[in-house]
Amino acid sequence: MAVKKLSDQETLPNARSHPISIEHVTKSYGSDVVVDDLSFTVTPGRVTGFLGPNGAGKSTTMKILLGLASPTSGQATIGGLAYGELANPTGTVGASVESDAFHPGRSGRNHLRILADATDTPLERVDEVLELVELSAAANRHAGAYSLGMKQRLGLAAALLCDPPVLVLDEPGNGLDPQGIRTLRNLLRTRAADGNTVFVSSHLLGEVEQLADDIVVINQGRLVTQGSLAEMRQSASLVRAASPEALRVALEGAGGVVESRQPGALVVRDLSLDEIGEQAFRAGIALHELSRHTDSLEDRFFAWTGDATSGVTESNTKEEL
Amino acid sequence: MNWLRTVRAELRKLTSTKMPLGFLIVFVVIGAATAIAVAFGTDMDGSKTFISTAADQQSLMAFAGNAFVIAGLFGAIAVAREYGHGTVVLTFLITPRRPQAVLAQYASVFVGGSVLGLVAAGVSAGSVAAGLTATDFGFMVSAADLAQVLAASTLAGGAGAVLGAGVGAFVRNTGGAVTGTILLLVILPPLAVQMVNETATWVPSILANVVSGIDNVVGMGAAIVAIGIWALVPAAIGLVAVTRRDVV
Repeated sequence: MAVKKLSDQETLPNARSHPISIEHVTKSYGSDVVVDDLSFTVTPGRVTGFLGPNGAGKSTTMKILLGLASPTSGQATIGGLAYGELANPTGTVGASVESDAFHPGRSGRNHLRILADATDTPLERVDEVLELVELSAAANRHAGAYSLGMKQRLGLAAALLCDPPVLVLDEPGNGLDPQGIRTLRNLLRTRAADGNTVFVSSHLLGEVEQLADDIVVINQGRLVTQGSLAEMRQSASLVRAASPEALRVALEGAGGVVESRQPGALVVRDLSLDEIGEQAFRAGIALHELSRHTDSLEDRFFAWTGDATSGVTESNTKEEL
Repeated sequence: MNWLRTVRAELRKLTSTKMPLGFLIVFVVIGAATAIAVAFGTDMDGSKTFISTAADQQSLMAFAGNAFVIAGLFGAIAVAREYGHGTVVLTFLITPRRPQAVLAQYASVFVGGSVLGLVAAGVSAGSVAAGLTATDFGFMVSAADLAQVLAASTLAGGAGAVLGAGVGAFVRNTGGAVTGTILLLVILPPLAVQMVNETATWVPSILANVVSGIDNVVGMGAAIVAIGIWALVPAAIGLVAVTRRDVV
């Protein structure tokens, strides 16, 4: 799904010049540390999923990035500048951080017209983005009568109004029907393929699994991991052995991280297939299977976030997987 | 130019919901009650001396005091609902320099409040005129005095709206902002007068009467300045609060 360009809008800055950088950001409310020395980058040209349990600090981080909240320390920049320093903020960053940030008595079209007025965007663009998010039929209805999915679409339309090279979206898939999720996925992937920066928080792991190129995982305000989703999922090996417990001891002794899965099966990280084979041979343990293992994102997520994932409802994750 | 665009957007916010219509209905109801009172009401002795002079009629149609309070509620609701509905997030995304955004809000509610004040005074004057047709008295207020009544209500409406907007920006909750505005304009002034008699001259209702030409306890210039101070102090407090706080 191609995004229509504004014909009479000033030339946008180079789309590839807007990486997002979070540098040692800490945010405290009194003694409550919500974000704790968080650092990561979001690369243009890729969709980056931002994951964490409820209360992990995702929304706070996004609000700091967008200048809506001040960090206690550290800085968040877009293309090297804080949001408030951008010459053309809405022309650079399209954001949706509140799924229901609409006056319930105002129509969807008028909501976007207000944004168009404020950003000097031609009013025709309002109809373009309404069509883009498939909300044209309901554009004149009051936003208060919209379903959650329709509100998400309206929020996305607002983010796309100025055709910005950076998108920052907080839980954009919430409430969308399967068709809407597919439309959203195609839209975001197309924008990333065009060299734009796409940063999306979500706790719908199945959706992120299909959408994101990279992921950033935080828990209790701290970075857990960051990198290519494909590499992370494939960085493990599956071993079946006659004596799995003995093998576990041997592998852990060699520096591996070992998880027990099905009876007799171990998932091993931080050791190559060769190293696992050698350790098994030295321990005199017969192997029944040794292969590369691809985890689901859900498995990895729970491994990364441990017990603290109680904030992520299982229904949310299993529903999507 | 950017700031003017923000003001334009804020004005569209005010006009794209039914809130102004609600206030207009309030004015029409008050106007209807005024017309009925003029047409059928009497003094204690059964006479209609309360409409027998130009000054009496001007006093009846002077709406600046009410405009100050009603436009105050308008401003409070207009700004506080931005926080309640979360639309302030978009406001600050579009205009990250918050003082600019807040000043644009204040400018728009000043315009909106002024228009409300003017319309309210117009409805009030029209109601008095309509009520007089059912009496033996004619419309005696001069064009100049009528213009002063309209101008006073326009000024009071704008100032009240800015005051309410300041309260709304500070409180960020519609119910709280409405309560705060009523406290500030309706409940606290009489209490202040009870405690310090000299303050009576400077309460909004008296100042509104002065600018409407139906009282002269202070000079016109002093009254206008005092009305401005009533509006600007809460507005400044709201501005500082918004600038310092996170949007949560």
